[in-house]
Amino acid sequence: MEFEPKIVAFLCNWCSYTGADLAGTSRMKYPANIKIIRIMCSGRIGPTFVLKAFREGADGVMICGCHPGDCHYHEGNYKCLRRYKLIQKYIQQMGIEQDRLRLSWISASEGKQFAELAQSMTEVIRELGPCDIKSVMETFA
Amino acid sequence: MSNIRIGVYVCWCGTNIAKMVDVKQVAEAVGNMDDVVISKDYKYMCSDPGQELIIKDIKEHKLNRVVVSACSPRIHELTFRKALENAGLNAYLFQMANIREQVSWVHVNRKEATKKAIALVRGAINRVRWHEPLEKRRVDVNPATLIIGGGIAGMSAALEIARADKQVILLEKEKELGGQLRFVNRTFPDFIPTSDFIEPMKDDVLHHPRISVLTEANLNELHGYIGNFIGHIQTGAKELKVEFGNIIVASGLKPFNPAPMENYGYGKLPNVITSLELEKMLQTGEIRQTNRKLPEKVAIIHCVGSRSSQYHEFCSSTCCMTALKYSNQVLDMLPNSQVYQLYADMRAMGKGCEELYTATSRKNVMFLMYDQEDGLPYIRKAGPKEDCNLLIEVNEKLSGERIEVPADLVVLMVGMEAHEQAKKLGQTVGISLCGNEFYIEKHPKLDPVATTTDGVYVSGSCQSPKNISDSITQAKAAAARILATINYGSVEVEVTTAHVNEDICCGCQTCVRVCPYGAISYIADDRVSRVNEVLCKGCGTCTTSCPTGAISSRHFTEKQILSQIEGVMLELMEN
Amino acid sequence: MSEQNKPKLKLAVYWGAACGGCCVSVLDVHEKLFDVVAAADLVFWPIALDIKYKDVEAMPDGHIDVTLFNGSVRNSENHHMAKLLRDKTKILVAYGSCSHMGGIPGLGNFSSRKEIFNRVYHDTETTVNPERIEPKEKYSVAEGELSLPEFYNDVRTLDQVVDVDYYLPGCPPQTERLVEVFMAIVTGAELPPTGSVIGALEKSQCDECERKKTDNKLIKEFKRPWEIIDDGETCFLEQGVICMGPATRGGCGYRCINGNAPCKGCYGPPADAPDPGAKMMSAIGTMIDSNDEAEIEKIVDGIVDPAGTFYRYSLPKAIIRRKLTTIKEN
Repeated sequence: MEFEPKIVAFLCNWCSYTGADLAGTSRMKYPANIKIIRIMCSGRIGPTFVLKAFREGADGVMICGCHPGDCHYHEGNYKCLRRYKLIQKYIQQMGIEQDRLRLSWISASEGKQFAELAQSMTEVIRELGPCDIKSVMETFA
Repeated sequence: MSNIRIGVYVCWCGTNIAKMVDVKQVAEAVGNMDDVVISKDYKYMCSDPGQELIIKDIKEHKLNRVVVSACSPRIHELTFRKALENAGLNAYLFQMANIREQVSWVHVNRKEATKKAIALVRGAINRVRWHEPLEKRRVDVNPATLIIGGGIAGMSAALEIARADKQVILLEKEKELGGQLRFVNRTFPDFIPTSDFIEPMKDDVLHHPRISVLTEANLNELHGYIGNFIGHIQTGAKELKVEFGNIIVASGLKPFNPAPMENYGYGKLPNVITSLELEKMLQTGEIRQTNRKLPEKVAIIHCVGSRSSQYHEFCSSTCCMTALKYSNQVLDMLPNSQVYQLYADMRAMGKGCEELYTATSRKNVMFLMYDQEDGLPYIRKAGPKEDCNLLIEVNEKLSGERIEVPADLVVLMVGMEAHEQAKKLGQTVGISLCGNEFYIEKHPKLDPVATTTDGVYVSGSCQSPKNISDSITQAKAAAARILATINYGSVEVEVTTAHVNEDICCGCQTCVRVCPYGAISYIADDRVSRVNEVLCKGCGTCTTSCPTGAISSRHFTEKQILSQIEGVMLELMEN
Repeated sequence: MSEQNKPKLKLAVYWGAACGGCCVSVLDVHEKLFDVVAAADLVFWPIALDIKYKDVEAMPDGHIDVTLFNGSVRNSENHHMAKLLRDKTKILVAYGSCSHMGGIPGLGNFSSRKEIFNRVYHDTETTVNPERIEPKEKYSVAEGELSLPEFYNDVRTLDQVVDVDYYLPGCPPQTERLVEVFMAIVTGAELPPTGSVIGALEKSQCDECERKKTDNKLIKEFKRPWEIIDDGETCFLEQGVICMGPATRGGCGYRCINGNAPCKGCYGPPADAPDPGAKMMSAIGTMIDSNDEAEIEKIVDGIVDPAGTFYRYSLPKAIIRRKLTTIKEN
């Protein structure tokens, strides 16, 4: 059976989640691999949620927030960006490919960009293949 | 045994969802999850019978949690929360799974879409289990209002509020009231002298007992929150501390400076003037060239700095009609002159505007069209043999030819742009700018008056270029909104705020500066951080910054989101 | 003497994969040891008493009142003893960072068994092993078959192999805390709910740390401790040095900070932060004082080993409890 990537996407309520909704109202198409979890601000995203998603079996994790300067809460997205860079360095140390985690800015009007992002992320993860974290974490050797 | 009793409702949304998602299968697949008491599908959950179904089940089955799997929570979350309240259940014991905008409308494979819908509903069920009832909170509203900007919008709002016998503090950064309209001679499309209404209005404002006008004044600092703001206002050398409950920002805009556009030679070629300079001439009643001669040929160029990828992409909205107004005014004063309109597109929206266009086109006015993508008009000095001062080279779109338009006077219809102080003022009052530096409203359609900061409203052309009537409409709308909250006496504030578990907080103070609203302070006596929940907007950035786990975000707790992640991944692993 | 009528407690101390420091911390009760032996019989403690495993095996289940199990579970012997002592003990205490969260041996989860064997038996600069001999679990000699415990690929915490009643954290635990806990058990004081951390504070280090703390937690450049001239007064984080204090329970008397070294996190997380590394990474990330992507990257580069820094004592307990690729080589 062909590998179907499992991707968890954390979207901020004001820009990115609205952008993803717009992709829907505009009837754009993207793969069903992306499962969206809504949070109020990308500033709420930190290592715990990202690592948990991997731990529960995600092959890829996406974080989307408002464009720099456009954060509904002024600068939560910058806080997210700072943590993201650190998480990237950490996951690489843990043997997780950095491409499995992506941060993108999607505005409320960027339904098309969201659909394209979902598409490209799915392709990238399909290329990388499954992430073993869940099975490794569940079996002690 | 768990005392959690969850009801799950899967909406068909007619065929919107049901066509792509097997709603019955979704309802069945989650029906056997822990704590799920009933799981149903229904044609339209948001309809009255749909809501009744939930209310009835809550009562009959003693449900204490509800999941609705339907459209985006941005559309109907409030509808269903209300239904819960009607059934006597706290509104926050509810979670939505978005299977329309984010499933049925974006996927093409029914099997995959159904599988994903199940995953999202499982996430919602896992999450709702940890939801806690949240109580709505209200704060009292100080009945005074601060209005920033004494132009037509600010003055209209001030009078509206003052006439309801409520106090207004009107701030104007210039010496006198009136804003941009001080420089405009007559209105379009009806040619009313602006002084006919601006002057009486200024008089009313200045003499109204409920309005305090502060000219040459700026807002230095703003503290507090909706209903209870404290502003530090600079007037001359002194700083006043003023308290008020709401704010209207009506700080206006400024005209675009065409000097950087080399093709127009503004500032270098004589007799190339801006629309505002023409207004000055109209005000004095004399249209003359720099050599004092009367111009015989007047050319008016549209879209200067507007609708251009290089300068401003937006349309300044008022210039087309102002240009038509000028044609008429020029012909009135110089009946023998020839007027040229070099336009990109003629935008004649609004009452009486198309009629003005038709009437103007019957006069001695030549309309020539240019395409901004095909090169802008280029102005050069005419030779001594020509019977005009200036020649405008332009690729005329309708004829497809490059032509030369003779002119003695060229009027540049400069666009409007955001005020240079807009950014600073926005930061002070806590409102953001959109890409073109105008203030962003709370919702472009549903709430074009409010902003994302509660208690701060926008009016007039600081939000986008506007004509007089639109500015006044928005100003009066803002005034009405504010009067409504003053009348009620209190306002509801965010309940999904952050709070600190003081038994855990170690006082490291990592959170304090993270808060964009200054809602967190360190209480030295107790050696803990504390959240002012009225100021908190619930972004959760502090929660994620807290190294001890002492801070948590109501309705977005660690447990709720981690459980949702588990739920969403649950289904996926079965394959 | 009424003491004679009261049955004495039966106490055991055992070490898994440990350095011995925890056992020394028990010895550090000094003259209080007399109070201990007055109230309890030490029935098993390999470092101090000559009692064999078979003696423990012979005990009835639940025979021991309290076992302090220190060290992580690195091999099958540790695992076997953990199970055995669980059966024989009423109150099993994970004693010290290693049994609590994996501790320093837990850093072994950055490598696979194969990598560790290669390093230890072949690649170390001082090793001469031309025949490439490695330990084998079974080896036949003329006298019969010899056996060695299986070296696990994954380091485990005590609660990853058996149920644990209490956790007494620290590397090693502060002896005073041990005495307090012991006395509480002896006097029959009401014990906290099973699964609790005992002998540590609810709040983290900063609460008792005496360094000056402000809200100025903005870091432009991360520094190793030797790169700063510490004024001895300012919060380490405010000097750009990573200190795990905010994500680490107090109770140790902030010993490291008192010695002018930042906290490394041995006392483990407060109750609501199960993965202290992730929590601290999140906090530290937020403190980065830049909104510019390139500059943020540069600042992050200053944290040489994020995984090792944030998970120094807690890797096996982390959400991602080991390095991923190494499993495949095993």
